[in-house]
Amino acid sequence: MSTQAARGHTPDSAKIILGWRLRVGWLRFLVIGIWLVFLLVPLYWVAVASIKPQGDLLASPPVWWPDDPTDLHYAEALNKFNGWKGLKNSLIIAIVTTIFAVVIGTAAAYSMARFRTGGRHLAFWFLSGRMLPPIAIIIPVFLLYSRYSEEWLGYALIDTRTGLVLLYTVFALPFTVWMMYTYFRQMPVSLEEAALVDGCTRIQALRMIAWPLAAPGVVSAAAFAFIFSWTEFLFAVVLARDHAVTLPVALAGMATSFQGNLYGEASALTMVSLIPALVLGILLQRHLVRGLTLGAVQG
Amino acid sequence: MNSTTAVDTRRRRSRAASSWVDRNIRWILVAPAVFVVLALTVFPLIFSLWTSFVQFDFSLGEEHPWVGLDNFRFNWEDPVWRRSLYITGALAAGATIIELGLGLILALAMLRPFRGRRVLMVLFVIPLFVSPVIVGMFFDLFLRRPQGPANQIISWLVPGQTAIDFTFDSPWTYVSILVADAWQWTPFMFVILLAGLASIPDEMYEAADLDGAKPRQAFFFVTLPLLLPIILVAVTFRFIDAAKLFDIIYTLTRGGPGTDTYTTTYYLYQQGFQLFHLGQGTAGSWMFMLMLTFIAFWLVRRLLRPVAA
Repeated sequence: MSTQAARGHTPDSAKIILGWRLRVGWLRFLVIGIWLVFLLVPLYWVAVASIKPQGDLLASPPVWWPDDPTDLHYAEALNKFNGWKGLKNSLIIAIVTTIFAVVIGTAAAYSMARFRTGGRHLAFWFLSGRMLPPIAIIIPVFLLYSRYSEEWLGYALIDTRTGLVLLYTVFALPFTVWMMYTYFRQMPVSLEEAALVDGCTRIQALRMIAWPLAAPGVVSAAAFAFIFSWTEFLFAVVLARDHAVTLPVALAGMATSFQGNLYGEASALTMVSLIPALVLGILLQRHLVRGLTLGAVQG
Repeated sequence: MNSTTAVDTRRRRSRAASSWVDRNIRWILVAPAVFVVLALTVFPLIFSLWTSFVQFDFSLGEEHPWVGLDNFRFNWEDPVWRRSLYITGALAAGATIIELGLGLILALAMLRPFRGRRVLMVLFVIPLFVSPVIVGMFFDLFLRRPQGPANQIISWLVPGQTAIDFTFDSPWTYVSILVADAWQWTPFMFVILLAGLASIPDEMYEAADLDGAKPRQAFFFVTLPLLLPIILVAVTFRFIDAAKLFDIIYTLTRGGPGTDTYTTTYYLYQQGFQLFHLGQGTAGSWMFMLMLTFIAFWLVRRLLRPVAA
């Protein structure tokens, strides 16, 4: 330290990393400021569109703030064109999918982490689902749901919430399995062994020791599963046209048809659909990196 | 007497059952996950392999005449299909590079703590939790002429009137797609690279400083090499996801003008669910999947191997 002080500059890593001598941090705040504007302007535009009266929506030049804001679109969006149905379906599907994916995924991850079930092959088999292009699955699943599920299972899965929940669970599993797999592998085994010595069954050890200890991992895995099913579009637009229509499908319908006549309603519904994004954005901060890379990078 | 024996038997039986559960617990726990994945990915894939070789048309009812490789040939001879592969690759590569650059700059800017950093972190990751169709809609509202404000903003920054049709005019549609994709996925690169940057110990920079390294040298000889494994992980994940681009196209350009912005997923969606050419659709999706798997394997082997080592 003394030699550096003698040389007249401290090893301020931020300055060095940026690659330029930044005596003041003005460049980094310029970067942050520009990004913030880019991030917020489209959000602002939708927020304002949701309270504009109909006449201002298609006005040219564009209206940045309406003279008389209205809350009409919020009421209309839920009544018109599948708004309320979409919101309800999306909530139900996302919650049920989350529960399924977390329970099934945690169980499998625990088995793989503690007993090395299936070794690396099984783990990578689950991971490969993350790489699979959804379009390759959705065409045959559409055929199976619409033509054969009634014949084989006695229950037509097309346009049902059940059908979507099943498919979403499968596609949320790579997240939950891998997040919990890396989590369990870092957890000490000794506590569970102690419980087994004390006469617990394996199931009890899992339920009373491992599961509570893994709670933070479970929360973030659940959040990822929820967000996945809340935002998924391709499967929903193919499988759920009417009865099981989800929020993204209802929104895309509003936005792309009607020549812009429903922009206000679509914007209002979008604002509603962003609420979970905000809540989970705050909730997930600590586990975000691990979730995005399925445990490949520790955040 | 009798009742106690009965209780004993029941207890013994339940103990036997629970010890059976205990012995096979590993398989019981892993079975549901394996089963649902088998049922809803492996089985449909096998099923779709069959539909790729037959003429699968709803108008034919239950008849599915064998057509061999005709479905594959149909796709391969379709210029729109070949163009869509090219567009998909170009857009995915472009998006990955742009987002890597922006994410790195942003991560460098956000590395050191400052007042309000926590709030900004929450704001910055919001796009990751927004449905991509909604992101497409954001930019549709924002860029579409005349009611979108994009042209107005450009005319403030650059003097003179501009009238760019961001969602209709050919080179601009690609720009719009990349901008929308960067809005959504730059945060992905940003959070991963930020974690990577934060994990580089300060001592490294102190050592570089003692050795007389200039800041730029420190960046190229300390930061980049140490960050490289994490950059590669991020690039692998992002590229494979970007190659599946569909939702943003659906609400932003709708594949247009004409078929200019058809990505492969969008093309196959059109084949399968607008034209109901299900045989061609599954044949194409198999080819697409094989290509993507090949690229994924290559990326994982090439890029992730050094990380694991």
